Amino acid sequence: MPILPRAARYALAFALFAALALGAARLVRIESDFSAFLPPSATPEERLLASQLREGLVTRLMLVAIHGGDERALAQASRALAERLSRDPAFDYAANGSAGQFAAQGEILMRNRYALSPEMKPGRFSAPALRAALEESLAQLASPAGMLTRANVARDPTGEFLAVLRSMEPATAPARRQGVWFSADGARAFLIAQTRAPGFDSESQAAAMERVRQALAQVAPSLQATLSGPGVFAAQSRRLIRADAMRLGLVSTAIVLALLAIVYRSALAVGLVLIPTAFGLVAGVLAVQAIFGSVHAITLGFAATLIGESVDYPSYVLINAQPGETARAAARRIGRTLLLAVLTTVASALALTFSSFKGLAQLGALTMAGVIVAGAASRWLIPWLLGERLLELPRVRIPARWFPPAPGLRVAAIVVALAALAALVPTRQRWLEGDVANVSPIPAALRAQDASLRREMGAPEVSVFLASRGASEAAALEAAQAILPALDRWQSEGLVKSYDSPVRYLPPPALQSARLGALPERSVLEANLREALKGLPYRPDAFSPFIEEAAAARGSSPITRAAYAGTPLGTKLNAQVLTLEGQWLVLTPVGGVTDLAALRAALGTLKDATTELIDLKAVSSGMLEGFRRAALHQTLMGAFAICVLLAMGLGSARRALRVVAPVAAALPITVALLAGAGERIGVFHVVALLLVLGIGLNYALFFERPPASDGERDRARLAIALCSTSTILTFACLAFSATPVLHAIGVTVALGSALCLVLASFWAAPAGIANRDGSNRAMR
Amino acid sequence: MRAIGFVFLLCFASAAHPAPAFDLARLMQLLAATPSSEAPYIEKRFSALLAQPVVSSGTLVYVRPDVVEKKMTAPRQESYRIAGSTLTIARNGTFRSIALASEPILAASAASLRGVLSGDARQLGEYFRFALDGTEDAWQLDLTPIDEEVARYVQRIVVSGRLGRVRQVEVREASGDRSVLTVN
Repeated sequence: MPILPRAARYALAFALFAALALGAARLVRIESDFSAFLPPSATPEERLLASQLREGLVTRLMLVAIHGGDERALAQASRALAERLSRDPAFDYAANGSAGQFAAQGEILMRNRYALSPEMKPGRFSAPALRAALEESLAQLASPAGMLTRANVARDPTGEFLAVLRSMEPATAPARRQGVWFSADGARAFLIAQTRAPGFDSESQAAAMERVRQALAQVAPSLQATLSGPGVFAAQSRRLIRADAMRLGLVSTAIVLALLAIVYRSALAVGLVLIPTAFGLVAGVLAVQAIFGSVHAITLGFAATLIGESVDYPSYVLINAQPGETARAAARRIGRTLLLAVLTTVASALALTFSSFKGLAQLGALTMAGVIVAGAASRWLIPWLLGERLLELPRVRIPARWFPPAPGLRVAAIVVALAALAALVPTRQRWLEGDVANVSPIPAALRAQDASLRREMGAPEVSVFLASRGASEAAALEAAQAILPALDRWQSEGLVKSYDSPVRYLPPPALQSARLGALPERSVLEANLREALKGLPYRPDAFSPFIEEAAAARGSSPITRAAYAGTPLGTKLNAQVLTLEGQWLVLTPVGGVTDLAALRAALGTLKDATTELIDLKAVSSGMLEGFRRAALHQTLMGAFAICVLLAMGLGSARRALRVVAPVAAALPITVALLAGAGERIGVFHVVALLLVLGIGLNYALFFERPPASDGERDRARLAIALCSTSTILTFACLAFSATPVLHAIGVTVALGSALCLVLASFWAAPAGIANRDGSNRAMR
Repeated sequence: MRAIGFVFLLCFASAAHPAPAFDLARLMQLLAATPSSEAPYIEKRFSALLAQPVVSSGTLVYVRPDVVEKKMTAPRQESYRIAGSTLTIARNGTFRSIALASEPILAASAASLRGVLSGDARQLGEYFRFALDGTEDAWQLDLTPIDEEVARYVQRIVVSGRLGRVRQVEVREASGDRSVLTVN
């Protein structure tokens, strides 16, 4: 290789990195689509759930509580805020429970009252029935409470519009004060805003939250708003994770850099250490982009963790250099061990790559590409950059007694590991995390606030859907209509608190036709009305609007979803009446289910088999479980590949065993300790354990390398000590995070790598020559 | 703002009738001094839908400080009772309670009745602007809703009476309908 001047070499390396980074910045498409973490083999139910979790109506609801003023001020602010938000393009609508809201929608319901009213039955417009209705209207006219209801008497003397409204009214609406939703104590006014952006789109959700706060600041600067809901959670958790990761990342980076600076006493060496990881990350991202067409945000986060072990590679090269030895020579000397360190990680990552979870496969691909590039950079790029230059690294000696080879403890370690396994396997229900809510990065305080807000608003958390299928929209609506009597029964029995069926405002066409059929012909209706009016003080033509509208309704076609375009109900219909693989599906969200098993059993007893129950929690817990199982399964496959690889690479099954044993023992002990400390092991822990596996194997490999001299042994110890200390410190920082993801990864890796370090030292290779302290002789 | 209007009103009222010094404060004093009462009433309802007014009658009961009950006996038995923070409607043997706070129009209606009967200008002022006309022997108090939500239904309430007794309550609705309740 022609010897370039050193400056030119650095410039070249920098230019290469800059080009790669620029390429990555321009080409890579980051997606935060949840479905990447769904297996492609997912059932339609799971895919439906994914879409519901992503952008379903439930995820787009924002609960707003206004407080900090008296009742009247709160009510005024509620009205003004609802009006403003309903005009805001970021929201579909904002409801506050006031009667005058959504005039356009009310007019649609009014116009179609005869198709929508559940009271529409034959005989509804006979002379006696009309007579009764007219007498009732007369009473309403005289009632002081009738002021709210009597406006439509001339158009709708039989009260069909009110019947429609009653049928749509949620069973558990918040209390009303000053005509708008309030908490029971009157201290908070409530609004429900529907964001246009899907719940997972944390950026848009954050913007929407900001708009609510700004709007409130404009209409009532002295009042405050508490916001909650899935989208709010998404935005908050992103902010929290980002802030936490940033803060802890800065702290841990500072600690690690300080540590490196103390050990190396060379800015150049510290800088060099960062190069392979930087190259690895960029290369990994580009590789995933090339293979998958996009990079998932979660992949990126996890992979940055996984290739974290590559920070250690250059340290192994630099520290293992003997006095007077160039980095190139040192890299060549430890090349085989370094290669195995890289390949073992590749093997475990390769297993992930075959996963049917797109997110997991991406994670594997990114780790693999990243580690290979980082390994190559450590093996060749750093020596090339340094050339003939010798880094005179100060010799920090790690006393041998810190890591005494202790064959006696090997047996103890294996016994402890087996005991840990024996304790873990039968109790796994207790320490495996099954509840998705607990995996969510939302701090418990925010979740508690949401729960109390929902309780106050009478808006129970919806985690159960009834999905009614049909070959056509009409058939699916029929199926959804068929379960309404059962739902009403369950509601009165207390099995469910509330439900929100779209057939209330979009009844199946046949039902609509039947209802319209209950309207008599115009001449008959006129005659019936004349008969009914006899002796009542009404003017003879008082109800001509009724006659006109009833006659028009009789000949009208059924209401379709198009009629609701642009109204809150239209938004709901789009989310609740949908097509899935050529089938139509009508979703009826059910809130406040007290006994899921009983509900499932009750649904099973219905003759109608076209409606099934979808439990969001069960399905997402199942998905989580599947993800964790897949990750574990792939890891076991990877472990097997690692054993074969080590046996071949080290040329001896015995040596391979010495490398694998400490890590294999460390993993169950880590899990047992975490479980014992009350951690519930979730998917994040599993990913973290993968990193522990990679890091631990590296420690074991370098411990196992038979040293040719005392100096080499010292240097190997120093390299391992430096790498492990930086890893443990970095992840211990994360363990202090309040964010579940960061905490899980931090605590697992810090504990796991510490255990790996200790156990690997038990299996350390005997020195080729006698040791000063004689421990080596004792070992023989 | 409301306070200024109130003061202005007081000034205006006293300026217009300097001799007997009859003003809002005096009216409230008279009303406040009237004990609990129970008196027959007749209510007439006028509506665009009706060829002739609907007439109903019964007893209007007021129990200090905050219970007002309209016991209708003709043409049928019905009762509307405002007590505390609820309106209770008894009809066809069933009772229905509605929180007055739930709808501004209910709260305002209750305030207009109770505020006048108890002589509580503050309660009236929460929902209405008022104008007083007449003398102690024949006064007329005009109540105009302040709140838009109330004004959607009620245009004006005119209460008239003699000394501390309410004689008539006329409610003019935004729809053009109107009811006149006369107490004997």
